[in-house]
Amino acid sequence: MPPKSLDLLQGTLDLLILKTLALGQMHGWGIAQRIQQTSGEVLRVNQGSLYPALQRLETAGWIDAEWGASDNNRQAKFYRLTKAGQKQLREEQATWERMTGAVARILAVEN
Amino acid sequence: MASVWRRLKALVTGPRRDRELHDEVRFHLDMEAEKYVRQGVDPDTARVQALRNFGPMTRHVEETRDARGVSWLDDCVQDARYAARTQSKAPGYAAVAILTLGLGIGANAAIFSVVNGVLFTPLPYANGQRLMILSHAAPLANQQNFGVSVKELYEYREQLDAVDGLVEFHQMNFDLLRRGEPDRVATGVVSHNFFDVLGIQPLLGRTFADADDDEGAEAVLVLGYDYWVTRFGADPGIVGQVFQMNDRPHTVVGVMPDVPHYPNSVDVYMPTSACPFRSAAERNIVANRRTFSGLQVFGLLKSGISFDAAATEVATVAQRFQQDFPNIYRAETGFQARTAPVLAALTVNARPILWLLLGTTGLVLLLACANVANLTLARMLRRDREFAMRAALGAGRGRLVRQLLAESTLLAIVAGVVGLAFAWGTLGVLTRFVSRFTQRIDAIGLDPWVLLFTLAVAVFSGLVFGLVPAMSTRADVLQSLKQGSLGSGVSAGRRRVQDGLVVAQVAVSVVLLVGASLLLASVWRLQRVDSGYRTDRVLAATAFGNFSKYPDVQSQLRLYEPLVERLNQLPGVESAAITNAVPLVLQNPNETPFNIEGRTYDPARRPRGDIRIASPRYFETLGIPVLAGRALTDLDHRESQRVVVVNQAMVRHWDGGDPIGSRLSANDGETWWTVVGVVGDIRQFGLDRDAVPQAFIPLAQMPTGLGGRIMVRSATDPTTLARAVADAVHALDPDMPVEDVQTLEEVRRESLATPRLTAMLLAIFAGLAMVVTLAGVTGVIAANVSQRTREFGVRMALGATRTWVLTMVLKQGLVLVALGLGLGLLAASAFSTALSAYLFDTPPRDPLVLLGVAAIFVIAGVLACLGPARRATSVDPLVALRAE
Repeated sequence: MPPKSLDLLQGTLDLLILKTLALGQMHGWGIAQRIQQTSGEVLRVNQGSLYPALQRLETAGWIDAEWGASDNNRQAKFYRLTKAGQKQLREEQATWERMTGAVARILAVEN
Repeated sequence: MASVWRRLKALVTGPRRDRELHDEVRFHLDMEAEKYVRQGVDPDTARVQALRNFGPMTRHVEETRDARGVSWLDDCVQDARYAARTQSKAPGYAAVAILTLGLGIGANAAIFSVVNGVLFTPLPYANGQRLMILSHAAPLANQQNFGVSVKELYEYREQLDAVDGLVEFHQMNFDLLRRGEPDRVATGVVSHNFFDVLGIQPLLGRTFADADDDEGAEAVLVLGYDYWVTRFGADPGIVGQVFQMNDRPHTVVGVMPDVPHYPNSVDVYMPTSACPFRSAAERNIVANRRTFSGLQVFGLLKSGISFDAAATEVATVAQRFQQDFPNIYRAETGFQARTAPVLAALTVNARPILWLLLGTTGLVLLLACANVANLTLARMLRRDREFAMRAALGAGRGRLVRQLLAESTLLAIVAGVVGLAFAWGTLGVLTRFVSRFTQRIDAIGLDPWVLLFTLAVAVFSGLVFGLVPAMSTRADVLQSLKQGSLGSGVSAGRRRVQDGLVVAQVAVSVVLLVGASLLLASVWRLQRVDSGYRTDRVLAATAFGNFSKYPDVQSQLRLYEPLVERLNQLPGVESAAITNAVPLVLQNPNETPFNIEGRTYDPARRPRGDIRIASPRYFETLGIPVLAGRALTDLDHRESQRVVVVNQAMVRHWDGGDPIGSRLSANDGETWWTVVGVVGDIRQFGLDRDAVPQAFIPLAQMPTGLGGRIMVRSATDPTTLARAVADAVHALDPDMPVEDVQTLEEVRRESLATPRLTAMLLAIFAGLAMVVTLAGVTGVIAANVSQRTREFGVRMALGATRTWVLTMVLKQGLVLVALGLGLGLLAASAFSTALSAYLFDTPPRDPLVLLGVAAIFVIAGVLACLGPARRATSVDPLVALRAE
C-alpha cells in the first residue's frame, strides 16, 4: 500500500504544470503522471481538473498547444511553455519559495 | 477589446474546440486505462478505474469551456435563440407586444428626430457655434421682440468689444425682371460681410465685398440656391448676368450653397447699398429715427468670449441708450437688449412644445411598457411550471431572470424596428407641424443619433417590461411544483404588481387626457369667440405696387381709388374696401401715441392707438357695426376736413366723455383729425387677444402710403370672385402681382391652426395612451377571470346569479380604474397650471374638463371590463369543475 497521497493545495496546480512543461512539451496525461511520479506519488493531480487548468493557462497565453503523435503513435495534444509562460513560472516559483520559506520559519520556532 | 475579440473567436471556433477537447479526454482515459492493463488489471475494470480517476466528466468539460471564456456570450446566443423560439410559439402575444411597444417607441423616435434636428444638430455654418443674435424688447409694453435701428447698429458696432463682426439682415420683397417677366423675389438686405460672419462660402462666384457698399457702387446680387435651381435651372453661367430690379441693373456675382437660410428663407441677397430704402436711410443717417427697428442683427463672438460676457456688454450699451435718450427708450416700457445664441433664438418658440411632446410620448411608452409587462405577467402564469422545472434542473434564479430579459429585449428590438418605420412614416407631417414654430426644420431626419436613441429606447423598454415579470419569478421552486394545476390561482404578490401597474397606467393616461382636453377646450372656445366682424363671404387679397412706380401717396391714390371703385362695381360684389388692416393677418398693433385736443399729457403717458387706413365701405364689408356717429364716406376726400373713426376700445381715452366732434393729433398738433364715428371692437391681432384701441383714417386722407389690402364681400361664394378681383387690378396695372388671395374664413381658420394642431397632436397621443391603458385593464381582468373560472363555477353551482358574478368582476375592474382616476385627477390639477400660457378662457382646473375626463374613463372602464365579465358569467359550472 503506497502512502496516502495528498490533494493539491489551491493554486499550486498551475505552478506545477508550468514547471513540468519547462522540461519539455508533454500531453495532458503525461503531465499528470509526471507530477505524481516526481513527487514520489505524494501529490495526486485531480485528473478532471487538469484540463480546465490547461485551458486557462492557454487562454492566458502562458502555454501553447499543438497536435502531434504520442509514444505509442496516437494523436495527442501536446502543450509547451511560451516565453510569457517562462516568465510567469519564474514569478510563481519565487512567490512559492517566499511563502514556503516563511511558513517554514514560523514552524521552526521552538516553544 | 482583445478579450472581446478572443471571446468572439472562441464562439466561432467553439464547435471545433469542443471536438478537440473530446479527443483529448478520450486519449487521456485510454492512457490511464492502459496503465492499469499493464499492471495486470482486466481491460473493463481498468476502464472503470480510469473514469473514476478522472472524476465527474460533464462538470470538467463545462469548466474547460468556461475557462475558454466563451460562456456568457454563448449563453446569450442560447438565450436569444430560445427567446425567439418561445416567442414564435406564442405569436399572438408577440404580435400584441410588438405592436404596442412599436407604437410607443415609434412615437418617441419620431418626436426625438424632430428634437434632435431642431435643437441638437449644430447650425450648418462654419461659425454656427459662435453666432449670436441681438434684438430689443419692451416687455412692459408687450413687445417681446423687435429689431435694431440703423443708428443703434452703428453704435453697437463702435462700442462692442466682444464681437468680431456685427451684421444686419432685413427682408424686402422686390420685383426682379427676368427677360421682361416680373418675379416677386424675397430679398435679404444684408451687410457686405454677412456671409463671412455666418461662415458661408459661395457655391459660385463670390459673396459681397466692402466695395459693394460704397456710395454709387453698382448693384449686385447673390442668388439663393433654391431660387437659382428652380428659376435658372442651375445655370452655371449665371454669374455676371444682369437683371432689372427697382429700375436699376443688378449684376449676379455669386450663388449660395445649398444651406438653409436664417433668419428667413429668401430668394436673393443684396447689400444694403442696393436697397432703395436702406440706402436712403444710410444717406441721411443723422435724420434717422432711432426707433426704426427693422434690422435683425447677428454677431460673431470673438473666440474665447462667452455668450454671457457678450450679453453683459450689449446690456451696458443698451443702458447707455436709455441714459442718453430717456424719451425714446422710455423706462415704463421696460426696454432692454437681448442676446442669445442663434440656434437658441431660432428655436425658442419650438422648444416648449417639443419638450412637451417628448414628455408625452415618453409617458405613452411607459404605458406601453406597463401593458406589455402585464401581458407578460399573465403569460408567466402558464410558464410557472416551466420555470420551476428549469430551476429544479439546476438553472439559477439569475439565469431565469436573464432568460426573461432576453425574451423581452428581443421583442423590444423588433418593436424598435417597427417604431422606426412608424417614425419614418410620420416625419413629414411632424416636420410641417414644427415649421409653424421654427424655420429650422432642414436637419430633421432619421440620422445616426435617432437610430442610436431608438435602439437605446428599445433596449430600455425591453428591460423595463421584462424586469417586472422577471422579478416575480418564484424563488420557491417546490411551492410552484406542488401547486401544480393552473387553476389554483396566482400569488398575491404578482396580483398586486398587476393591479398597481393598471392603476398607474390609468393615472398617467388621465393626466395626458386632461392636458389634451384642456387644449381642445381652449381651441373650441377660440373657434367660437365673437371676433366682432363677419368672416363669411369675404375675400381678401394683397396688391402692393412696385414701389418705384408708386413712390408716394399721390401715385398710390391714383391706383387705389379707381381700384376700389372698380371692385365695388364688379357683379356679385356687395361691397369692397382697401385697407392695411385685414383682421388676424398681423400679429402686433402699432402703438402710435396721440393727443386729444384740449388735454395736456405727461409726454411719457400719452394715449396710444393702432392707427389704420380704411376706404369708405370698410366697416360695411367686414360687418362692423357703427355704434355712434357715422362711418367713413366718399365725401371724406383729400381736400375735405380730416376725419377719423375710432373703435370702442379707444373711447376709454376720453374718460367717459363723448369722443365725437373732438379732435386728435398723432404729430404733436401739426394736423388734427376730427372724430366722426365710433365702431364696434374687433379682434384684429388674434382671436385670443382683446381688442386694442384703434382709429381708422380714410384712404383718401392717408398721410403716408401703403394700403394694399383688398377686401370684397360677395353675394355668394367669395372664391368665385378671385379671378375678377385679379382682372380688376391688372386692368389698372398689368404688372402688379395679386397675392395672398384667401377668404376671411381661411384667414381665421389659419390663425388657429397652430393651437388646433398642437391640441390635436396631444389628443392623438392621449387617445393612444387611453387605448393602451384600456387594453391593459381588459387584459388584466380577463386573465384574472380565466384564472378564477373554477371559482366562478363553484360559486354559480352554489347559487350565485350571473348578475352577481358580473357585478363582482366589474367592481374589481372599476376599483382599479377609480383609484387610477383619482390619482390622475390629483396629478393633473397639480401639473395643468403649466399649460395656462396655452389656454384661452379655460382655467387649468376647468371642472367641465375634469368631469368630462372622469366620465370618459368610467364609461371606458366599464366597457373594458364588460367583455371579461360576460365571459365569467358564461362559465358552465359543470365544465369548470371538470376542467381540473
